[in-house]
Amino acid sequence: MALLEVRDLTKRFLGVTAVDAVHLSVEAGELVSLIGPNGSGKTTLFNCVTGYLAADGGRVLFRGRDVTNAPPHRVARLGIARTFQQVSVFPRLSALDNLLVFLQQHQEERLLARLLRTRGLRQLEAEAIERAHRLLDLVGLGDRAATAAGALSYGQRKLLAFAAALMPDPELILLDEPAAAVNPTMINQMKQHIVALHRQGKTVLLVEHNMDVVMDISQRIVVLDHGQKIAEGTPEIIRRDPRVIEAYFGR
Amino acid sequence: MRRAAASALAVVVVSAPWLVAAAIPRQQRYVLHVLIFTALFAALALSYDLIVGHVGSLSLAHPAFFGVGAYSAAILSTRAGWPFFADVVGAALAAAVVAALVGVPLFRLTEHAFAVGTLGLAVVASIVANNWVEVTRGPLCITGIPKPVLGVVGGSALTITTLPGYYWLALGVLAAVTALYRGLTTFRLGRAFHAVRDNEPLAGAAGISPLKYRLLAFTVAAALAGGVGAVYVHYLSVMCPEEMTIGLTVNLLVIVFLGGVGSLRGVLIGAVLFTALPEVLRLAPTWRLAIYGALLLIVVVRSPEGIESLLRRAGAVRPAR
Repeated sequence: MALLEVRDLTKRFLGVTAVDAVHLSVEAGELVSLIGPNGSGKTTLFNCVTGYLAADGGRVLFRGRDVTNAPPHRVARLGIARTFQQVSVFPRLSALDNLLVFLQQHQEERLLARLLRTRGLRQLEAEAIERAHRLLDLVGLGDRAATAAGALSYGQRKLLAFAAALMPDPELILLDEPAAAVNPTMINQMKQHIVALHRQGKTVLLVEHNMDVVMDISQRIVVLDHGQKIAEGTPEIIRRDPRVIEAYFGR
Repeated sequence: MRRAAASALAVVVVSAPWLVAAAIPRQQRYVLHVLIFTALFAALALSYDLIVGHVGSLSLAHPAFFGVGAYSAAILSTRAGWPFFADVVGAALAAAVVAALVGVPLFRLTEHAFAVGTLGLAVVASIVANNWVEVTRGPLCITGIPKPVLGVVGGSALTITTLPGYYWLALGVLAAVTALYRGLTTFRLGRAFHAVRDNEPLAGAAGISPLKYRLLAFTVAAALAGGVGAVYVHYLSVMCPEEMTIGLTVNLLVIVFLGGVGSLRGVLIGAVLFTALPEVLRLAPTWRLAIYGALLLIVVVRSPEGIESLLRRAGAVRPAR
């Protein structure tokens, strides 16, 4: 059974079919990229999977469980993390609080499930702070923990958003253009982080325009054009696929 | 040093009735009346800031919750003979129930539509207070609301009858609301509130249900407003529909936004300045409203984020948390 399965997913905006009966399945531990020209429906697909848009047709299954049109906070608590294309943080919270807020709902849910039998909130908070500091160190923001997120640079906010998505230790991570609009050094850093995640056994679904990154790290690539899936396969196959070349460069 | 200053301030605030009596004995009743209003307004403004400052929803419905609490207390104490503490709790619960019921449909609206929806609620509540004569007595007002009985000591009832007594009661209300405000706006709950306020879509990705936390803040704020309304009518001994007009929202907006939205210190400063100031200005009756309006304008222009941020930038106070 695939970890994430998207069946016949369709989303229309005022007569434009942004996502057209797309099938997509991601196995546990895979690193899959979703590519396609601008407006081909990649982000719309992400938004349908994570509950930000209601699908007009089709189903989304996570671990075999139907999560079609579940609200974003429920999808997140099931273990699907996502980042946003437009860099997205809580500007008035500190970098540390930005991370803590990503874990607390998950913790509280677990706490309630055990009926307060185990540890108190205070200990959960201590664990969360420790984890947050480790993640901040990982992305090189260890010394900015107390800084308001809104005061960080664009690239730092992007790294912070990435670290925040990892806070609850999600099973599946959806990354929407993590390498867009950042400098080459940072692109390289981001690439290393994604590869490291994959090595730890996490499942990653990546939307990215930077072909060097995509071709370098993906195990499998799915290509969308005008909302339809036009190709799927390993980077070598996709690189030579005439339909893909046509979609990107025209006839 | 700062701790010493805070302790000194606390001593001055608590002993205000004696200080006033010593300094301006002929004006004591009037000054205490203004101080009681200031404390109750500060408590009401803090409850209001939970919604507008911490979950970032511009509700204009606060007079409705204040009014539901005030009328509940007035009716329960005069017609059902409920003791003081019971009717205050009843008033808070009544306001919370109304908020929870109207909150679900209201939070389907966003931003400006939400503000207009809550304004509608405040207007409807005011119309009901004026016209549901069987219950509220309409413009005739509910009169004869008993003085608060705090308890029975050695067979005799401990009743608040004097102005200093009411002042300390109002301070107690303010202290209780302040404690709740701090508890609700820090640590996990505060973080979730602020996440919803700062970036609603991202809060969803963090597993936080924006509706749940907005509704929670809205309901708790309504309960506190209802409780303050109850104490308020026990002080006035009368409840009239004019106490819950839209004008109350305007006062709250001035206090919260010019004091410092989302900041305990800012709201308290705002409450003191904008409740006491209009009274102080009575010394110049002709120019009172003109001076008040001019001061409001100066604050808005010079410090759009509120007086609290002005003090913070001047280094007079430390940044909050």
